Amino acid sequence: MLISLITADDSATRDRSLAEACVPMDTAALLAECAELDSFRRESDNLYHRVRAIFFLQAIYRFHLPGKLPTEATGSIPFAGYEDLLCRHFEEAIDTFLEIQKKDGPCDGIASALAAAYHQLAFQTLANQVRRSVRTVRGNQWMFRMGHPTDHPLRIRPELLQQDDHLYPVLCERTPVRMDLTHSAWSDIFFLGMDFPQGARVVNVSVDLAVHGRDDKPKPPVEAYFRIIDQPVLRLTSIDLRASAKITSLADVFDFGKDHLGLLKAAVIASGIIPPGIEGSGKSLADLLARLAGPGRGIEIISSVNDIPKGSRLAVSTNLLAALISACMRATGQTQSLTGELTESERRIVLARAILGEWIGGSGGGWQDSGGIWPGIKLIEGEIAGEADPEYGISKGRLMPKHKVFSQEEIPDSARQALTDSLILVHGGMAQNVGPILEMVTEKYLLRSSAEWKARQDALGLLDQIIAALSKGDIRTLGRLTTENFRGPLQTIIPWATNHFTETLIARVSEKFGDDFWGFWMLGGMSGGGMGFIVDPSRKQEALNIIHEIMLQTKRELENALPFAMDPVVYDFDINPHGTFGALHRGEAALLPPSYYHLSLGGSLRTPPSDLSPTARAELDQFARACRTNPAFSSSVEALFDSLIPRAQEDSEEIRPLGELLKKNGFDRAQHEEIHKDLVEGRIGLAQNRLPANTTIKDVNTEDITDFTTTSPISANLGLGEKALANGEVGVISLAAGAGSRWTQGAGVCKALHPFVRLGGRHRTFVETHLGKSRKRGNEAGTTIPHLFTTSYLTHQPTRDFLDTVKDYNYPGPLHLSPGRSVGLRMVPTVRDLRFAWEEMPQQVLDEQQQKMRDSVRTALISWARGAGEASDYTDNLPLQCLHPVGHFYEVPNLLLNGTLADLLTERPQLKTLMLHNIDTLGADVDPALLGHHLASNAGLTFEVITRRLEDRGGGLASINGRPRLLEGLAMPREEDEFSLSYYNSMTTWIDVDKLLDLFDLTRHDILARNQEKITEAIRSVASRLPTYITLKEVKKRWGHGQEDVFPVLQFEKLWGDLTTLSEIESKFIVVPRSRGQQLKDPAQLDAWLRDGSSDHIESLCEW
Amino acid sequence: MKIKKAVITAAGLHQQHLPLQTLVSPTGKTKTIAGFLLDEIFANGIDAAAIIIAPGTEGDFSSAVADHLEKVTFIEQSQPLGYGHAVLCAKEFTGNDPFLLMMNDHLYLSFAERSCLGQLLAVTEQADGPVSAVQPTHESKLPFYGTIGGSPVGGHHGLYEVSNILEKPTPTVAEQELIVPGLRSGNYLCLFGMHVLTPRVMKHLEKAFSGDGNLPLTPSLAATARSEKYLACEIEGLRFNIEEPYGLLRAQLGMALSGKGRDEVMGAMIELIAATRR
Repeated sequence: MLISLITADDSATRDRSLAEACVPMDTAALLAECAELDSFRRESDNLYHRVRAIFFLQAIYRFHLPGKLPTEATGSIPFAGYEDLLCRHFEEAIDTFLEIQKKDGPCDGIASALAAAYHQLAFQTLANQVRRSVRTVRGNQWMFRMGHPTDHPLRIRPELLQQDDHLYPVLCERTPVRMDLTHSAWSDIFFLGMDFPQGARVVNVSVDLAVHGRDDKPKPPVEAYFRIIDQPVLRLTSIDLRASAKITSLADVFDFGKDHLGLLKAAVIASGIIPPGIEGSGKSLADLLARLAGPGRGIEIISSVNDIPKGSRLAVSTNLLAALISACMRATGQTQSLTGELTESERRIVLARAILGEWIGGSGGGWQDSGGIWPGIKLIEGEIAGEADPEYGISKGRLMPKHKVFSQEEIPDSARQALTDSLILVHGGMAQNVGPILEMVTEKYLLRSSAEWKARQDALGLLDQIIAALSKGDIRTLGRLTTENFRGPLQTIIPWATNHFTETLIARVSEKFGDDFWGFWMLGGMSGGGMGFIVDPSRKQEALNIIHEIMLQTKRELENALPFAMDPVVYDFDINPHGTFGALHRGEAALLPPSYYHLSLGGSLRTPPSDLSPTARAELDQFARACRTNPAFSSSVEALFDSLIPRAQEDSEEIRPLGELLKKNGFDRAQHEEIHKDLVEGRIGLAQNRLPANTTIKDVNTEDITDFTTTSPISANLGLGEKALANGEVGVISLAAGAGSRWTQGAGVCKALHPFVRLGGRHRTFVETHLGKSRKRGNEAGTTIPHLFTTSYLTHQPTRDFLDTVKDYNYPGPLHLSPGRSVGLRMVPTVRDLRFAWEEMPQQVLDEQQQKMRDSVRTALISWARGAGEASDYTDNLPLQCLHPVGHFYEVPNLLLNGTLADLLTERPQLKTLMLHNIDTLGADVDPALLGHHLASNAGLTFEVITRRLEDRGGGLASINGRPRLLEGLAMPREEDEFSLSYYNSMTTWIDVDKLLDLFDLTRHDILARNQEKITEAIRSVASRLPTYITLKEVKKRWGHGQEDVFPVLQFEKLWGDLTTLSEIESKFIVVPRSRGQQLKDPAQLDAWLRDGSSDHIESLCEW
Repeated sequence: MKIKKAVITAAGLHQQHLPLQTLVSPTGKTKTIAGFLLDEIFANGIDAAAIIIAPGTEGDFSSAVADHLEKVTFIEQSQPLGYGHAVLCAKEFTGNDPFLLMMNDHLYLSFAERSCLGQLLAVTEQADGPVSAVQPTHESKLPFYGTIGGSPVGGHHGLYEVSNILEKPTPTVAEQELIVPGLRSGNYLCLFGMHVLTPRVMKHLEKAFSGDGNLPLTPSLAATARSEKYLACEIEGLRFNIEEPYGLLRAQLGMALSGKGRDEVMGAMIELIAATRR
């Protein structure tokens, strides 16, 4: 039946939502549908039928089946299938999982594994199709056939080979960037354009830019320079990234991660100068360059984006790629004209090449992103594939859209001016990964979820209205429509399009400008970076500064909660009437941007003049003359001097606060040196984290656990729990010391303060959500629950300030912060550990080009580790990024040490139980049934576990040599051991305060007396009995204008779950429902979390 | 269409040293390059030929074509203004007649019973518009040749109707505009240096000529293709561009290996290969 939703001719059936169709089906019916869909997708030769069937299967296994499975259904996920998934053998993985499902019956774990496998298979299928289409675009095909330098069919145009006084001419390509005026619901994603070409429509404007207050006036921000050089090498320079390389081998051209020049390399390849077909041929780059430019000659390519910050959502990178490709194509005669505008067919081939370049470079943009190649304002639309197209018979639409540039009659100058006079273009400063958003859009489109499908139609209607308003120059209406689009269709499709920062900005701008604020407009995948505010033109000048101030202020307030890459900026802009434009400069005028010389002339200046080539000497003379006569070069001498003699004091300024921080936060230098020594000598490391290989690891027996998912709570225990709660005997500890490295990919903000989702009508932070649950349970019990948040050097002050700002969210009970008392200093990893992590441990193999990129980056990181000194102190970053917390074992001992527990016991002498949980375990609350069970069991520690899904990695509940205990993933002797364990540790723990103190050989009296020495010794004694794990973490290093690099660093940890190894305290284990125990580790989980009802469940637990 | 006139262009800057250059024909006869061409032209029933030469080279050319002097007219191209201009110089000579156009730096070796020129003229007899000789050529050679786009003429193997002609296109452009159905991937129909043209080509050349600057031939051929039925025929044979590096050597080897000197030349080549090393 569900197949008819895919194959039906009538759009009413075809566009029916899968979710609605699944509602009446029971488990058996759903499984039968899955079997049919799986056969269908294997047999169908229609790409989109196949992909939709795969997405249907993914959705059923992820969202529709789990809720209908019997609760007692448990089972383990076969490791062989998981390995297949990692190796991208999706078909094999699916077969393995289906076989187990057939044999053992369906269960939640297998459903999650199947959902993951189908998800990845679907995107792989779509990506393969785009890739095939890119290769088959006419004009691109030959580049994949060419494999030998003597076959190279291109030649450098003769104009570029003629020297004037030894100087080769410079070809300069200037390109505007693009802004998408409509944001037509991400319809420029290739997959959408190819399946639903009639729905893929955007209004795209080419703009020149200037950073307001920094630059004089708007100009095309993207520049590419091309010239011949008298060495048989490829010289690439990115002025903005301050990176330059002299490439002498073909292999290095295809090595994208080696340096920051991947985009330039992709352009050289995609333009056909070094065609992709020659990769791996082992031929000589010099021979190839000789074929192109003549013996002994080489090519130099330089890029500049005039310091426009990254993440502007104006497609700066794609337009830079397009500019570089245009310049390279002009230089090799692939365009009619060496200079001026391009013809329409040339623009289209540059677009095709830019798509190819993005694929080669392992990145990806939408099909409208190269819009800067075209002039002015244009409508870009998907196009239905015709018989002559390579896509015909495979997809409905072509890969390449069509561009209609609006004429002066259609959108007069006055309207264009009106838009310029009202629109304030900004970069909010947030840098976020939009990849997951684009995946969500694709998935939702293919599932035809009814609300999203309607929203897509609404967005298309709004686009027509926006064009009409623009034609009339009615910018007020345009503002209303873009706001309507943002509030309606965009957020219906992707609720994550907005965030707390954006909402605060809109509210503040609206409050400030009232009716003169005409509308908000979001650029790109999500808001927070590139955005637009539309105001009454009479107030634009004033608004430029005020909005900048508002953004700065809001950023200051939220910078510890949300990942900002830079301070917000406001742009000045003009609509560009030319599109990409080439110019040839000869002789004295053949100058490159001043910054280029600052970067590159050092070598020439250090060489004796007699050893310089005539061209190098001529260039030095030319630069010297420019410094004297050209105003653009007026400060070049100082800048060149600075680049020759780097300032030394910067380093010491960075190090001083790091030293102070270490001292302040209890850094133990002796322990650090010992770890350093052990690391260098190989006594500890990632490999040594593991238990001996002969350890017997088995799944636990039913008597080792109490299953709360299948058994009703015993009423006596419930009563016990309710009574303890009412008596104020219980408190909550939320672990909020972490920086949420997975949550923000190492950005170093406080995850606890992240306003991650809308609950009860507005964005709520993790802290507020946890307090909401304690408030509700307290109110129900007629009491207040003490709530503690553990913090660290990184999170303490921001959390304190934040809670002060929000007045503790008016939490009625005691609310304490427990600051960390120990800290470590990160270390540069050893090559041995890097190799272990990347070569010995199972790795997710990436898509072909991305994998190449990752391998190349890893090679570069291994060189970095060697160069920086293995196991040496990691200090080359912001001080806070160099420190690390030493593991969550210390969170509870810290309560003892820092007096928080003493305060609490003074306040609540009756306190007997603490419930500890991770900041991202949103379902954990003081459930009286569980509390009662813990009390009745007389356990010292009761750990909550959940049944395992594929994504629940990192350890679990195991029977080790016959004893049930929690086993960290790091300590698994073999990767596959984890897959035999049915339960995953949720970290939520019920702690009997007195029994815990017993373990430490302490009493309440010691705590209340704040006997620091005794407490310190007690903690050290217990800690020494727990294993020390070495872990590899990723940290971001920010530089330039919004640029970020990620480095792996080593740190050590002691972990809470290892208390289960100690016999002095009794640990028990209870299985809780997934809705209570699941964790939100990655923002990419949010959408599924919203869709599977988890969000509603959490909301039901809270009172605001 | 019967062809009675031929034009040979020999005024190119690099061609001025070629008139007295000789090669040994497959039959063992030593001839100048122009001599090879004229022998072939007159053997195929053409009555008169014009050679477009650079100023001051008539003496050398007269010696080079001494056997055919009575049928040959020399026309000086006073300034080097391009290949199209060289052809235009023969406008008076060709008048209202269709004519054969060849180049003095190209020699041909046929694989068929008919000579390469004979193959072209046989097609021309059935045509009433221009016909260019073409050959499928790998894309790596595109920087050297004019290239046509078109479609096969049903029922005639190796015959195409031309829709576009571009001079030395890049493969990027060729893939978009010059794909010919039926050819192997990465191959295009490149001009063979031999055309039968009509007076209309001269009109296009005249129109395109601004009086100074370079006048190429190919755009006028492309304009002709847009205005009248223009055919291209595939030639079974080899073309030698004598101006290319080792072009003269290849031409001589090609002639020798296809004639009575084959064994002698092969023996000499083997000796050379054995005796020399890189």
